[in-house]
Amino acid sequence: MIIKLEKIKIQSRKSEEAIDITPKVDEVIRQSGVKQGLVNVMTCHTSSGLLVTEGIPCLEEDILTHFSRLFPEDENYHHRRYLDYDGRLGFNAETHLKSILGGISCSFPIEDGKMVRGSRQTIYFMEYDGPLQRTYMVQVLGE
Amino acid sequence: MRIDFHTHPVLIQEMVDKYPNYARMARDIFQIGNNFQPLETFHLQMDVAGIDRAVLLPIDCERARGDAVSSNEQVAELCSTSDRFIGFASVDPLKTGAVKELEHAIKKMGMKGLKLDAALQDFELRDSKVYELYEAAEGLNIPVLLHTGMSWAPATLIERGHPMLLEEAIARFKKLNFVLAHWGWPWVWEATALALKYPNVYLDTSCLYYDGPKEFYQFVFSKQIPTTVLERSLRNRMVFGSNYPRVEIKNMVHALCTLELTEACLKKVFEENPGRLLGLK
Repeated sequence: MIIKLEKIKIQSRKSEEAIDITPKVDEVIRQSGVKQGLVNVMTCHTSSGLLVTEGIPCLEEDILTHFSRLFPEDENYHHRRYLDYDGRLGFNAETHLKSILGGISCSFPIEDGKMVRGSRQTIYFMEYDGPLQRTYMVQVLGE
Repeated sequence: MRIDFHTHPVLIQEMVDKYPNYARMARDIFQIGNNFQPLETFHLQMDVAGIDRAVLLPIDCERARGDAVSSNEQVAELCSTSDRFIGFASVDPLKTGAVKELEHAIKKMGMKGLKLDAALQDFELRDSKVYELYEAAEGLNIPVLLHTGMSWAPATLIERGHPMLLEEAIARFKKLNFVLAHWGWPWVWEATALALKYPNVYLDTSCLYYDGPKEFYQFVFSKQIPTTVLERSLRNRMVFGSNYPRVEIKNMVHALCTLELTEACLKKVFEENPGRLLGLK
């Protein structure tokens, strides 16, 4: 059995952004040599996310717009206090909540060395608190 | 051209990779826990905030804390990578040769101001040695930015940053522009009083100690100090400062813009006042 873990850095360039990482996941699967198995993808951060949806700009915009409607910046969040372990205030509760709502991981089966996904399914790295350099993990398991 | 007058280059990955002590000083002395980021992120943070240039502040606390939280040389190195960065020098007033070190940083390294932090550098603001630096800075025609008010750095005393400790120097060095960082919080009225009375006192807006940037600004610059005081009396004495990376620049820009300040006043805060202090054309 092959188990391969890749930690991939990604630079977001905006405050909020949906970045298509499907080709990168395909590449990790190809390089792993796994023909039959499973791939898991997960963000390493609590103010970013990982989600799957149709890969078109209007949906990218809708997700970010409506997440912001659900978790507005001006709400009354308990997180807005000094965090001594960070040496700064935590005033990004809404970005954490978006991450929880949208999810942080996804998985797909692998068959004949390729990720099996619906024709419209696209894997997005979701930046909710950028711009930052981020890391997500791709783990391939199989034979 | 919008300027952020108060940033600390403590989380830059390239510097952490190059200088063995850089990470320790950021984590243990300055105390910040965020992930280190490539220099590109700093530029992008400025971009999304609509900031064109940023003042980079070193802190020479080698005597007090074992090393600098970004040295003059390291800040100069970062400034050499981009015209967007404006370097200040930090000198320990109690160190032998402090005046010469400042002169060297300004004349040879291209620094544009002096940064002092009595709490982190562990000196008394009324020490005669500090006055020697003020005299030199006055002669060099550069501003001095002083940490005032509360410091998050764990080994420091808040009282070291009381803005009234500066009054005697402010009154004495009339041609030296003093920038009181963090608006002196929690002594915001004291800092305001100094700016109201003395024409050589400026206040930077890098002021955030509880709640979020918008809530904090709304309280301090509306309920505590009426916004009219900023607009009418201090419009020529305020400079925008974020204190990045303790807070993202965009959040502080947004918070400032939610105050009921006129566009003309905001232009002074972001552009004209810092430009004048830095001698930019």
